[in-house]
Amino acid sequence: MPPPTDPQAIPAQEAELSVVGKRQPRLDGPQKVTGRSVFTDDVVLPGMLAGKILRSQHAHARIVRLDTSRAEALPGVKAVITAAHAMGMAASSTESAGEASRRRTGRAIKLKTGESVFADQVVTYIGEEIAAVAALDEATAEKALELIEVEYEPLPATMDSRRAVKPGAPQVNPEFPGNVWSEDIDNYGKPDEAFESADFVVEGKFEAGVTHNLYAEFHVAVVDFSRPDKLKVWTPTQTSYLMQHSLAPAFGLSLNQVQIIHLNTGGAFSGRGAVRPHHYVAALLSRETRRPVKVFSAGDEEFLIGRALGKNRYKTRIAANKDGTLKAFDMSCEMDGGAVGNEVGYFGWMAGLCNAWVFDLEGNRFRRKVILTHQRPNFLGHGGMMVSSNCAVAQLVAKVAKSLDMDPMDLLLKNAVEPGHTGLSGEVFASCGLKECIETVRRESGWDDKYGKLPPFHGIGVAIGAMASGAKGAFKHDTSAAMVRVGEDGLVTVYTGIPDMGQGTHTTMAMIAAEVLGIDANDVQLIAGDTDLTPVDVGAFAQRGTITTGNATRNAAIDARNQLAKHAAEKLATEQHNLVFRNGRVIRADDPDQSLSFKEVAYATLHGMEGRCVMGRGFFNSPLPYGTMAWSFDAQVAEVKVDPETGQIQVLKVTVAHDLGRTINPLAVEGQIDGQVFSAMSQVIYEELVTDDGLFLNPSRLEYKMPRTYEMPEISHHMIETHDPYGPFGAKEVGEGPVVVTGAAIIAAVSDALGGTLIPEMPMTPIRVLKAIRGSELYENGGQKP
Amino acid sequence: MAKHMISLTINGDTYDLVVSDTQTLLDVIRGDIGLKGTKRGCTTGACGVCTINDSKGRAILSCMTHVLEWDCESITTIEGLESNGELDAIQRAFIEYGAVQCGSCTPGVIMSAKALLNAHPQPTEEQINEAMSGVLCRCTGHVKVKEAIRNAHRIREASSHAATD
Amino acid sequence: MLLPDHQYLTVDSLSDCLKALRENGERAQVVAGGTDVIFNMRLKLFEPDVALSIRRVAELQQVEELPDGGLRIGAGCRLVDLVEHPLVNERYPAFADAVRAVASAHIRNIATLGGNICLKTRCWYTNNSEQWRQGVKECFKTDGELCHVIKSSSLCHAINNADTPLPLITLGAVLTLQNADQRREVPIAEFYRKDGMDHTVLAPDELVTHVTLPPVADRTVFLKIAARQGMDFSQAAIAARAAGTGADAPQVSLVLGSISMAPIQLDQPARTVEAQGLSDEAIEQAVAQVRAELGELTSLYARASYKSHLAKVLVRRALKALREM
Ligand SMILES: Cc1cc2nc3c(=O)[nH]c(=O)nc-3n(C[C@H](O)[C@H](O)[C@H](O)COP(=O)(O)OP(=O)(O)OC[C@H]3O[C@@H](n4cnc5c(N)ncnc54)[C@H](O)[C@@H]3O)c2cc1C
Repeated sequence: MPPPTDPQAIPAQEAELSVVGKRQPRLDGPQKVTGRSVFTDDVVLPGMLAGKILRSQHAHARIVRLDTSRAEALPGVKAVITAAHAMGMAASSTESAGEASRRRTGRAIKLKTGESVFADQVVTYIGEEIAAVAALDEATAEKALELIEVEYEPLPATMDSRRAVKPGAPQVNPEFPGNVWSEDIDNYGKPDEAFESADFVVEGKFEAGVTHNLYAEFHVAVVDFSRPDKLKVWTPTQTSYLMQHSLAPAFGLSLNQVQIIHLNTGGAFSGRGAVRPHHYVAALLSRETRRPVKVFSAGDEEFLIGRALGKNRYKTRIAANKDGTLKAFDMSCEMDGGAVGNEVGYFGWMAGLCNAWVFDLEGNRFRRKVILTHQRPNFLGHGGMMVSSNCAVAQLVAKVAKSLDMDPMDLLLKNAVEPGHTGLSGEVFASCGLKECIETVRRESGWDDKYGKLPPFHGIGVAIGAMASGAKGAFKHDTSAAMVRVGEDGLVTVYTGIPDMGQGTHTTMAMIAAEVLGIDANDVQLIAGDTDLTPVDVGAFAQRGTITTGNATRNAAIDARNQLAKHAAEKLATEQHNLVFRNGRVIRADDPDQSLSFKEVAYATLHGMEGRCVMGRGFFNSPLPYGTMAWSFDAQVAEVKVDPETGQIQVLKVTVAHDLGRTINPLAVEGQIDGQVFSAMSQVIYEELVTDDGLFLNPSRLEYKMPRTYEMPEISHHMIETHDPYGPFGAKEVGEGPVVVTGAAIIAAVSDALGGTLIPEMPMTPIRVLKAIRGSELYENGGQKP
Repeated sequence: MAKHMISLTINGDTYDLVVSDTQTLLDVIRGDIGLKGTKRGCTTGACGVCTINDSKGRAILSCMTHVLEWDCESITTIEGLESNGELDAIQRAFIEYGAVQCGSCTPGVIMSAKALLNAHPQPTEEQINEAMSGVLCRCTGHVKVKEAIRNAHRIREASSHAATD
Repeated sequence: MLLPDHQYLTVDSLSDCLKALRENGERAQVVAGGTDVIFNMRLKLFEPDVALSIRRVAELQQVEELPDGGLRIGAGCRLVDLVEHPLVNERYPAFADAVRAVASAHIRNIATLGGNICLKTRCWYTNNSEQWRQGVKECFKTDGELCHVIKSSSLCHAINNADTPLPLITLGAVLTLQNADQRREVPIAEFYRKDGMDHTVLAPDELVTHVTLPPVADRTVFLKIAARQGMDFSQAAIAARAAGTGADAPQVSLVLGSISMAPIQLDQPARTVEAQGLSDEAIEQAVAQVRAELGELTSLYARASYKSHLAKVLVRRALKALREM
């Protein structure tokens, strides 16, 4: 599909940008640095009760007896609920993913009818909800939990996806015999022919461990369901829209009777994309007691219910020719879906696609099998499965280069896609700065002086990636809407439904509105985070914020601008298209000496004969039937040192070049990149939930390792601007593109430090590094790189 | 359960409080007094979001100390950094250098930074790493946090010049 | 994770404190900085009836210079005060390094030396919440008869994870233990027991009041390896001391920590370098003798094989560092 010509374009206005591209401090900065920003745990409502959840301590067991009577009798306890209170309710948030798959492939991912809120008779993972209590305070609620008597009959459990598919393995869900939740093969292009005709094939295995997203704000929900016709939910989320769509049918309410208030969301990292059992539990407790209830997950509970990545095992083959042409990928992945496999398969598909986007291939095959185990239900980590799948691929690409005696940079440049490229699944890259990204990191990292020249245990690695900026799929539409109200004092209010989890989207929206209206971004306030007040927005996921909500905001601002322009054109005796809104003034393009102040125009528009209240409306929905309009591209070089004695890895420097179309706010973009470098480094070197038969041994912020200040490398950022035709002012995403590349670059660098040894697993904990060293040629060569 | 009368000064305001043996300083700041800027995090010492400053200006985890230890003490919370409606230099540095993202850890991170600057107005890299390793900020990866701390003295000097001009 | 019900008792003097300890016996738990006690109370692993706070006991918070050039440090001194103390840094740099290596600045601002010396052993089967623990069988620490990390063992194998005892042992520090009736002096080298449950010789009514450090002119070093720098317990740590200069090391002491239920004083490796000097060959010979002295290792917090590997790495590094001093 050809890129759109923008019917709303205002050439004179946009020829020179005065807000976009400036280092704009966050608008909510003053609130956040003074502690005034309200997070869900800070919400106190009159009569509010404390809710606590009793969770299964067994991976698989029958509940023989559940007696809540002693808990109910404890003074101060207002309600004790169990499965009986949630009968017939489906806590599933998965219909959307299933829908998406059906539209894409013509068949549905097998969908469970719904995960139940409370375990009924049988528990299938440690941490599963069994009962809940609402009491006057937390201490009473904690005591009440201790008084609930549960007698279990332990059943054999299957904790590992490889064992789960063997004959005779304990079954997780009778509807899925053999514990196979889903099995899919996606074929793009002609992988078989490409493998047959290729000069050679390289292959490798890679595994990724169990993680947690570890956002700063713990899982928490405050729910007021004291009125039967209004369900109010305060909670951190990436999508209030999906939450409404999950909660409303479960409680027999219409969408508008469900109000989601996401004041501030304390980080999400792909982990807050859906409604979770604790939301339903809080609502049930509130309905039961007719009082507001707060459920705060304490300590290790956070890790039990935080649905992040499960164990993923990849097998990858790459077909290539001797001239360095990459021909095809064939990757298969076994995913541990945990006890409820619903969501991971869909995102596995993304991982298979994402690897191939950056290369001009003949074929790409991705097989994925989601296996049920008695583990925590799994979902996504920061960067989804793409962090690990890209690690698997980047090493093999480096191996292809090495076997041909080619510089990996040259190999990447030879195979990298260019603007206008049509991918194997029909995607068209209207803008693409991949080659420029590669050349930039090559130059800025000093690659040519370092690659192949570093001493043993000192390595450098490169990786590239692409990321979809928004993707239609969750619903038939992918709409964001916005309203822009211009006050008579010239101050502007933007209404948006997109959550800001820290990524800075609200400030971006203010900047976009300010650019269109030619005012200072600090003169814009945001009304956000309350579905009763704000228009539809599918949410802050799939990197859709800047492009989709950004376009919606731009459209709404243009609508408001047009309303003002009508009035100003009359005053300045000219046509509307001859006006430029800039630096707080409305100016005649042909005669810049003639102008009015923006405030004056805003005032006069209301205080005139027409008495117009300026309210701009806009929405944006991808013009494509499904999938993505724009892709970001990214290349990174990581330099590492490995301590051969302790096995510890030190990341020295990460050089990032990211094609984000247009930099709206450099300050925020750098922050996004920094955070993703940190997160990816953390994922590939440190983060792992250590399990003993399904039991997490280290569910705490102390023992689940993440680096801190000392470990952070130097980061060098480079923004590559390619002005995407779909993006607002040409902007694309920068929220997840970098994270899926950093990890791969680090793994490639570690591999280089160890003389080209393939790294089989992440995180690369010291003991695994030592093992890799022992298995490397470096070791055989007495410490010399081969 | 026995109750005790204590007197606690927070941000210059003295509160007479009736507290119980099991309450921590964090419980009282957030609950009894209702200052919500100080956050509740892991409550086991590893995340730093509950950091406040004691009377010596040192960073203290309010989740890890009984409130009864703080009778007749004076502490500063995030709400107490502003003076006369002016943000503290470190608060301004955090805004200006993009050291704030989701904001959930920010109060604890700023109080940790403030404690560092109290002792070392122009800290070395090592001092910054040492003082800030007790807090966890996944959003920023600590990069811009460090940058803000490095530059706080400039902002402070600029504003004190402005005041004397 | 709220604190369990208890009475919080604050005392102002040592004698009141010792009296209260005597009266309350095993029902009481001393709270110094509280950074470990509160941690474990939240997990309901510690559920004392009485939490006895010694924070206000001024007698325990002095650093005294002794006429012989040594120091006598009150057990209630905060780690931050020791980190900043000029005499501590000047006279006992390896000890100062160990103090600096404990946890984070936040924790050192409130945690005490006595608390670090008396730190209970740690294990990830017990240092998790009560709800979590109910999912696993009771172990020695939770009134059971089992050790999760070495199932066949009749002992608790929880780890002594404290950093400061290591240099204190090499320095020949002596602890003053006191109860309501009497006081005794115990070299810290004899303070720890190889039992994760009952890990010191301290009686329930006793308090560690002081740590006495003799004057030491020898070379000393402290090294710690942790998953991350700043804010982490050691996966393994070492303190080492050597008399003499250069490769000549007539008296050597090596103490490893965080790999077992108690600090490990390496005997044979120390004798080897005493006899042969700190040459590369002698050091390698000493390193080869390390494993035999470590005893049975567990995979708590790090794999057993990694711990024994780190032990060797640390011995090598420490001995080389001493040689360079
Ligand atoms: C996140 C985190 C990280 C940590 N990292 C480290 C680390 O890297 N290295 C390390 O060594 N420790 C670490 N710790 C453990 C602990 O904080 C320190 O060991 C600290 O020094 C304990 O001192 P405290 O005064 O707070 O002890 P408390 O918690 O008050 O007491 C600890 C124990 O000692 C007993 N006790 C205290 N004082 C005396 C006394 N005078 N006489 C007799 N018994 C006494 C108490 O009854 C209790 O059993 C960490 C803790 C946390 C929460």
